[in-house]
Amino acid sequence: MSALVRMRLAGFLRTGRALAPLLAGLITLGTLYGGGRAQPAEAYGVSAVVLFPVLAWQTKILLDVEPDVQRRLAQVTVGVARERSAGLLAAAVAALVTVAVALLFPWLVGGVSGPVDPGDRSIPVGLALGLWAHLLVVPAAVALGALASRASVGGAGYGVAVLALGGVGAVVFGLTGSVAPWLAPPIMAAARTTAGDAAALTLLALSGWALAWSAAVVGGYLWRRRAQG
Amino acid sequence: MRLENVWLRYHRRGPWVLQGIDVRIGPGEVAIVLGRNGVGKSTLLQVAAGVLRPGRGRVTDRPARVGWVPERFPADQPFTVTRYLTGMARVAGLGRAAADEAVTFWTHRLGLSAFRSVRLPELSKGTAQKVGLAQALLRPPGLLVLDEPWEGLDAATRELVPELIAEVLAADGSVLVSDHRGETVRLPAARRWLVADGSLSEETSSTDETIAVVEVAVPAARVAGTVARLRAEGHQVLRVRPDASTAASQVLPVEPPRSTGAARPAEPPLGMAGELTAEQPEAADAAVESAAGEAR
Repeated sequence: MSALVRMRLAGFLRTGRALAPLLAGLITLGTLYGGGRAQPAEAYGVSAVVLFPVLAWQTKILLDVEPDVQRRLAQVTVGVARERSAGLLAAAVAALVTVAVALLFPWLVGGVSGPVDPGDRSIPVGLALGLWAHLLVVPAAVALGALASRASVGGAGYGVAVLALGGVGAVVFGLTGSVAPWLAPPIMAAARTTAGDAAALTLLALSGWALAWSAAVVGGYLWRRRAQG
Repeated sequence: MRLENVWLRYHRRGPWVLQGIDVRIGPGEVAIVLGRNGVGKSTLLQVAAGVLRPGRGRVTDRPARVGWVPERFPADQPFTVTRYLTGMARVAGLGRAAADEAVTFWTHRLGLSAFRSVRLPELSKGTAQKVGLAQALLRPPGLLVLDEPWEGLDAATRELVPELIAEVLAADGSVLVSDHRGETVRLPAARRWLVADGSLSEETSSTDETIAVVEVAVPAARVAGTVARLRAEGHQVLRVRPDASTAASQVLPVEPPRSTGAARPAEPPLGMAGELTAEQPEAADAAVESAAGEAR
């Protein structure tokens, strides 16, 4: 399966289509950190929120780069389960690279500061919380991007609609006082947690929520793939 | 491998493309899938290969290693021939050294050596088709599924395809092949599956059945249509040749003699002649009548 992951990542990079989401991510982060300095945990929480649609889009592009017939050839060669898994894994690897860039970016542009007041979190704690917030976003974004991919929805228009609804829904349903917060991955809740009181139990609950949401969406993706043939 | 009561449609409310297909192919057997355009030949092949999942029914005892040559190779990929085939060999489970060895062997055998560093989108259709053939053979398949494998290939490679099929069969593999060019005449021992109206029937021939060769002359412009129709009706077109003399071309020599309706001196000049075999005299008559009708 790792050979198929490498082949798909190579296809993604060699077409140059990897540049579009990377540039979009950099522009978004540049805008985010251009307004002033913030402490790491708070900054990273917001960074994770804005990266969610970027990573989902990146996943869709990665999965859509491969021609349909080539995807079927891979399926014949390695089987259905490994073909699906290899696509998701390749998207996750690409997402982790983008996350690494997002974590480094504020230090390169001076967008973060160390603790100012006595009650502020230390830089290592802020980094750990930021890493957690970004890792929380990766499975959810990969799942949404996969659901929006051509192999899942067929036409390009439907894919864009799924991405847009997923991106907007994650913010709208994630607002404080939302009537149906479980409809969205907990990226907004994670941002609030990194900025406020980050109790271990809260982090654990949000992690479980994110994984459950991602698993449900991946289930939808696999069901769509099964229906699409 | 067996297809048990296989039904398939592409959309929930769409028409069934395959309806209750029940067929088996054993080790060392090759079957040619025949039928008109759009009847579901490629669909059947893709179900057999494991690309498509039946809506009803199931496929059992599919060999672990399947080689599938799609009708059109997906050349829109950012790889050179070597990089693509090496990648596919690794995906198929070969180690680095074995993958390199397999790629070298198959690129040489299929005449791709000169194209190894060429990017896939820059290949001609025929050369890309060779890459499609190579990727299916990098590891010896237990089931080889060839969807119009002769399409776009040069003469040398066309001759090679039956040889490759024979090698798979010799290793106790099975082969399924579709063809509308009449190249399957190169596979005389093959079973013949006819797909029509979503169902599959197998043409059977007994050893004591007499085979007749019927020569038919048709206007050159109508050769392709006539050949396609004759094949779709189950006849085996042996060859198509240009007619040497216009005078001679106005006569359709037909065997057996009872097919008298074919010779029409008042008709316009006929440009091409071909031979076909028919396993039944009635079928031969019908085929010749059909060709003569085209010539009118």
